Amino acid sequence: MRGFRAEGGSAVAELDDEERLVVARIIADVALLLGADAFGEDYDAHPAPTSDIDDPFEHLRGFEESIREPSDPAILRLLPNAAPTDREAADEFRRLTDGELRATKVRRLRRMWDQLSGGDGATGGDEWVVPADEALATAAGLTDVRLVLASRLGLTTDDDAERLHHEIDLATHALETDDDGVLPIDHERVWLGMLYQALTWLQETLVEFVATDGEETDV
Amino acid sequence: METERQSQTEGGVATRLDDVWITIVWNDPVNLMSYVTHVFQTHFGLSREVAATRMREVHEHGRSVLASGPREKMEVDVQAMHSYGLWATLQRSGE
Repeated sequence: MRGFRAEGGSAVAELDDEERLVVARIIADVALLLGADAFGEDYDAHPAPTSDIDDPFEHLRGFEESIREPSDPAILRLLPNAAPTDREAADEFRRLTDGELRATKVRRLRRMWDQLSGGDGATGGDEWVVPADEALATAAGLTDVRLVLASRLGLTTDDDAERLHHEIDLATHALETDDDGVLPIDHERVWLGMLYQALTWLQETLVEFVATDGEETDV
Repeated sequence: METERQSQTEGGVATRLDDVWITIVWNDPVNLMSYVTHVFQTHFGLSREVAATRMREVHEHGRSVLASGPREKMEVDVQAMHSYGLWATLQRSGE
């Protein structure tokens, strides 16, 4: 994996086949959590249509009197309570914004998934090309994916995040030195943690591109 | 007694001039400092320096008030923050 860097006005990262598959899958999983259709369904047969997903919730939302708070903590982190001390304001906010927020998030994830899965906007090869005007939206999409992973990993404080890094270092060391019989390793947790770290790093390089790009156009 | 007077003034006067709301952004362990700074610059039109100061306030003190104004305006701000994946809330000013 190589982080994003500026190439011909776009942000370009490199991910090998397996990395692309893993990242595309977690992106599709997060979209599923947000209520989207499965991204993979039509992938093998033909490129995914993009025209009919502009607002997949348009017909479903807006008529509901009130929308209940998500019970899954990961979804609640994507669509948080906007007024914890004011029930009326929180309900009103959710009623007004839930559909639009979900649609925005799903649309971004769909675009990222397409770029990684050979659908619309994909360039083929190992490159993940993000046009400059989509870079911030992609960074936001990466945030949503990382928020879900963080929720599954139980990261609620800065200290939790520090501990995770330490945990992964220990596990990596144990595996490298064939010492994993001594230390109990939760392989799934370590795997999710490493994916979280990789996406964090990828997002860092993309945000750096966005910040630098912004400075150039300001002049 | 105090509560009675309060409920009288609050009843049906949603548009009174002093009904100011605020938008608060809270710290979380996920969002990158560089990303939060850029989001503050982009959405609130802050300079890089001011945006970075607000970001550090969130990171070090756990929260920062990013905007104040009518409730509808704060709803727009909070929705934008949620769209970016930041943890934001709104409330009446002074509460």
